[in-house]
Amino acid sequence: MGANIGIWVAAILTLAIFTFLYKDNPFFKFAEHLLVGVSAGYYLVQYFFSAAYKKLWVPVGEGQWWLIFGGILGLMMFTRLWRRTEWISRYPVAFYVAAWAGYVIPSYIQVRILQQAESTMFNPAGLPVGQVISFFILLVGVVATLIYFYFSVEHKGAVRGVSRVGIIFLMIGFGATFGYNVMGRISLLIGRFQFIFTDWLHIVK
Amino acid sequence: MTFYDRLMSIDRRVIFLCIGLAVAIPILVPIGFPVQVSQETKSFYNEMAALKPGDVILLSFDYEGDVMAEVDPMAVAVMKQAFSSNVKVVALTTYAGGTGIAERILNEAARQYGKIYGIDYVFLGYNPDWSGTILRLGESFKATYPTDQYGKSTGEIPLMKQVETYRNIALLVSISGSALSEYWAIWAGGRYGVKVISGNTAIQAILIYPYYQAHQILGFLGGLKGAAEYEVLLNKPGMGMRGMDAQSVAHGLMVVFIIIGNAGYFLARRAKRLGRERPAGI
Repeated sequence: MGANIGIWVAAILTLAIFTFLYKDNPFFKFAEHLLVGVSAGYYLVQYFFSAAYKKLWVPVGEGQWWLIFGGILGLMMFTRLWRRTEWISRYPVAFYVAAWAGYVIPSYIQVRILQQAESTMFNPAGLPVGQVISFFILLVGVVATLIYFYFSVEHKGAVRGVSRVGIIFLMIGFGATFGYNVMGRISLLIGRFQFIFTDWLHIVK
Repeated sequence: MTFYDRLMSIDRRVIFLCIGLAVAIPILVPIGFPVQVSQETKSFYNEMAALKPGDVILLSFDYEGDVMAEVDPMAVAVMKQAFSSNVKVVALTTYAGGTGIAERILNEAARQYGKIYGIDYVFLGYNPDWSGTILRLGESFKATYPTDQYGKSTGEIPLMKQVETYRNIALLVSISGSALSEYWAIWAGGRYGVKVISGNTAIQAILIYPYYQAHQILGFLGGLKGAAEYEVLLNKPGMGMRGMDAQSVAHGLMVVFIIIGNAGYFLARRAKRLGRERPAGI
């Protein structure tokens, strides 16, 4: 019975959201505000128990007193809410930015730059013709796109020609991205319709 | 208003209705379009198939309810392949809203395959700060997750006794609705050398190709189509395959609308140009 009520509520809210496709109306507004309110409540409880309670209150109670400093930095972030005290929050923000820079910079350089650049290099000996052509197109695309974004030299002559090739690769990439975007949104709509026809109306098995 | 202007100003509600019908009708009346399997999906499947009974995978549910329709079929299929091969699963989620989703999928798969919590699978739950979690798991699973989702000490769970760090993980599977698969590849894969495969939403999948091409991610599933392809390889039809008819029809309709829109635009422009070139009085 509980599951049935949940399915009915979900179905009615789904239809309420869909009414926006005709025009804005109170049913849509109600569903939207309900989503915001329930999400805020859910995340507040989740974050409090998974962070403040499990990661601070419990370990400090078990003797890990040094975690209090992390808790103090976290509380200092709330000073952003008042104009007179927001300068205090710069300290935990600075700590966070510095830690994130330490996490990210070496890893990004290794994985997103060096390893990616390495993968554009290939030895054609022994490879099938199709793979050689594929690698060559990849190499041309990477170089041409990088030259398009190189603005220290005026784009004229040979540089202009190569950067135009880069633009073509960029446009192909944007088209593929748009196509995938469409696919993603349609998939979400398919999911909602499958829920309505299968779980709610039981007209599709 | 000319024909071309009418073509360019079709009410968007008509388009919404057409898309809605294009999705709804194939769900109600299946057509049965074939599903071609891509190389990246085959690579994903092969990595899972290479696992031996008793191997442990780390399955990260990196998504919430907003993209459930696209990636849930992937997670379900991964659990089916893992449990049918007697592979053990250590699961976690990097999203607060992912806990309910993960529990549902894990428990349903365990019930279907007769798997026991704590021995065949564990759900570590949600940890705030996903970046710290990914990095710290390389040092110690138990320090990162002192307790599982249900409050039990991870030191007392039988499966967790054989999992100390990433070294004990045969494969890392990230089912993601965001860029988190990339971070698993960057930190867990790049720094600790774990093999990573991922299932991504279609929007994210386009960004995973460079990692796949560079063998940083060894295989991935792209969107609902990727889930359908994976189900074909597993020979276990599910929500992925059921959505493919609707996906194909809706995409075909989108192409038709784009052609109509472009035709209207260029014909209107041409008509205006011809109208300007015509001498006055004619």
